[in-house]
Amino acid sequence: MAIKKALAESGLALEEAFIVFGIGCSGNMNDFLDNYSMHGLHGRSIANAVGLKMANHKKKVIVMAGDGDTYGEGGNHLLHACRGNHDLKLFVHDNHLYGLTTGQVSPTSKKGMISKSTPQGMIDNSFDPLSLALTQGATFVAQAFAGNVPALIAIMKEAIAHKGFAIVNILQPCVTFDKVMTYKFYLERIFSLPAEHDRQNLAMALSLVMKAREEEKFPVGVLYQKEKATYTEEHANLKAETLLDKKRYTDFKTLMAEFR
Amino acid sequence: MTKQINWKIGGEAGFGIMTTGLSFAKLAVKNNLHTFDYAEYPSLIRGGHNSYEVIVSSQKVTATKKPLDILLCLNAQTFSENEARITAETIILYDASDFELPEKGRRVNIPLKDIREKFGAIEIANNTILLGASVALMGWDKKQLINLVGEEFKAKGEKVQKLNQDLVLEGYNLIEQNYGQLIQTFVGEEKKAFPALVITGNEMYALAAVAADCRYYSAYPMTPASSVLTVMADWQAKAGIIVRHSEDEIAGVNNALGAAFAGVRASVGTSGGGFALMTESLSFAGVAEIPLVVLLSQRPGPATGMPTWTEQGDLLFAVNGGHGEFPKIVLAPGDITEVMETTLKAFNLADIYQLPVIVLLDKVLSESHESISESLVEKYMQSYEVKRGKLVTQLTKDTYQRFLDTKDGISPRSIPGSPGLAYQANSYEHFEDGHTTESALERVKQVQKRKRKMNTYLETDFALPTVLGNLDKAEVVLVSWGSTKRPLLEAVKDVSSRSVAMLHFTHLYPLSRTKLASFFGKEKHYIIVENNSEAQFRKLLAAETGIYIEDVWLKYNGRPWWREELVDRINNLLKTKKYV
Repeated sequence: MAIKKALAESGLALEEAFIVFGIGCSGNMNDFLDNYSMHGLHGRSIANAVGLKMANHKKKVIVMAGDGDTYGEGGNHLLHACRGNHDLKLFVHDNHLYGLTTGQVSPTSKKGMISKSTPQGMIDNSFDPLSLALTQGATFVAQAFAGNVPALIAIMKEAIAHKGFAIVNILQPCVTFDKVMTYKFYLERIFSLPAEHDRQNLAMALSLVMKAREEEKFPVGVLYQKEKATYTEEHANLKAETLLDKKRYTDFKTLMAEFR
Repeated sequence: MTKQINWKIGGEAGFGIMTTGLSFAKLAVKNNLHTFDYAEYPSLIRGGHNSYEVIVSSQKVTATKKPLDILLCLNAQTFSENEARITAETIILYDASDFELPEKGRRVNIPLKDIREKFGAIEIANNTILLGASVALMGWDKKQLINLVGEEFKAKGEKVQKLNQDLVLEGYNLIEQNYGQLIQTFVGEEKKAFPALVITGNEMYALAAVAADCRYYSAYPMTPASSVLTVMADWQAKAGIIVRHSEDEIAGVNNALGAAFAGVRASVGTSGGGFALMTESLSFAGVAEIPLVVLLSQRPGPATGMPTWTEQGDLLFAVNGGHGEFPKIVLAPGDITEVMETTLKAFNLADIYQLPVIVLLDKVLSESHESISESLVEKYMQSYEVKRGKLVTQLTKDTYQRFLDTKDGISPRSIPGSPGLAYQANSYEHFEDGHTTESALERVKQVQKRKRKMNTYLETDFALPTVLGNLDKAEVVLVSWGSTKRPLLEAVKDVSSRSVAMLHFTHLYPLSRTKLASFFGKEKHYIIVENNSEAQFRKLLAAETGIYIEDVWLKYNGRPWWREELVDRINNLLKTKKYV
């Protein structure tokens, strides 16, 4: 399993990485990893992860969820997590449909996709996580393909090592329910980033993503990476120990002063 | 009858009414007087009609009274809004050059416009001048007043500070020099309860939370809970806590659950509408057994309702909120002291029983100030013991089982990061070790284990209702929960009859049938007094204990119960002897 290898090769002891799992087929990976983890509500993993990291910012916090969970139910939390550059590593298993509920469209389905919930074809345009993450402040934006496991592991390791909000959208054909976006479909459309791509150039990354979208192609690799202070680094109260390890505050008299 | 002076100021929003009211209350306390206040304001930033009244007394007082003693009218509407409360003795301060008032009470012309012109001040200065006049009428010390105003405007620079001090002195001198006959010096003799803090329920919640070692607070602003967010955010610098203004309530509660899972005491605060958004997450807290304290400050619903008014309409929602069946505790303080006690307790209960604890307030409890002895508050805070329940830091068996089936229902809990004690806080039904299961046997095991936690709480930590008066001798027993306690207490004191007692509940859910039976004798006439239309506590009491109270007094117009309304009802009842 890619994440297991990535974590091991990153040299992280079991207690050093906390994982928050989403609800969906991908969330059921929880049974294969033995880390401290939260398996919360559909769409809320990022929200749990934000709080978890703020309480113990010295741990690595990883989020493993699906596209429905992250981009549908949890879209708002994704947006704001990018804004905060919260130091989380988000791995989205994007099979562009709702597998666990047996095959409805998800935000990343193709426009026009026919499914149990859209028998006449999905009217909406497909959601683009990459441009959203880029424009809202994520500092590591990447896309990978589940068919190339070594490359996926490499990107995962980079994301884990990155300081700041990292999102890796993992293109993943659903062999049970998707007869359109199959392995073949992807192999015909994915492309590696050109040699001259400058991952530190936001505008370049954004235009590459928008162009690929227009051409119905899928870029694979690290599109953007920047070193910026993370949310917990910028918080005045987390300069030294974690919130968990701090000594209990007992100077109540000082707080009471304003009520005199 | 203990002397009580009811002072009130009214005018448009944006004219310093709230600040003046609070200043008056703080000065009263400096003169050893107990205070209680009540403010009304519409859901607007400018315009509309705002009012703030403070009742002061030499003994503890917890409700305003209908007859006004001093009324400050910044506009004519204040008079018309309060006409029914004006007696022949009411001193009315207003600017006669601004508007006319009918001949009622004892009108005193304070030439605000002229005074402002003299000092080159803007209209908002009116309230400062009137504050000075009020203080003179009360016979309080001039120096105290100058110091208070000085403190208030210190941040705005020396020029503004001096201007306001001059203005307040002008108002003071005007009364002292021209209306000496109206001055009735009122100072308290009792020194025991002083110095005192002047503090709201929300502020006390924040203080108690920090004292209880709450380190993480997340919230989305919502009236009337917003001031907790503001106060806690302000205290981050001093207390080292972390406050997150989350993108929405669902984020807020899940952030807090993440922090709580990590081992930190966490809380969220909201009102009914925000609580509604949090309910699925409470269900998660319940099944994954994550401690959380939720402040729910009620306001009239449904939907957007009346944001700045008061109601007790979310009791049953608090009790039932969250799908599925899971253990939770609902507490409801009735006054500022109880806010302190229940909040301190809530954080221990959440940790010990590993579940969500809801602390129910409402607008009037959240935003009204009460004076409370500073040394009492300090005593509570310093003597508080942080009880974290069954925390495990070392692996003693072969494997760690977070949801171990135990006799009291409470399983040992590890703090993430401890080696060998990893587990999954799982929203699915799970085995004892946390992994997901659909097994019938394991499901029943966990459901029963979780239920057992509630039984343990009922045996160990459930607090009985407080009796005020003599329950044995009483023929009429008034039952209260939450903020109805305060006006009811004053009403019962006013009636002063041995046939009347009060029964006040703070631990609302779960309720113990066996422990409560003895409080409800068949010969007495019980009345539940509530601020809602569905008699929610009557329903809850009946459902949980089988005790059904026929008589209820309900008020649901967005205002709290006035003590005179209660006095009339009680006297009526005693007179007609309807309890026979």
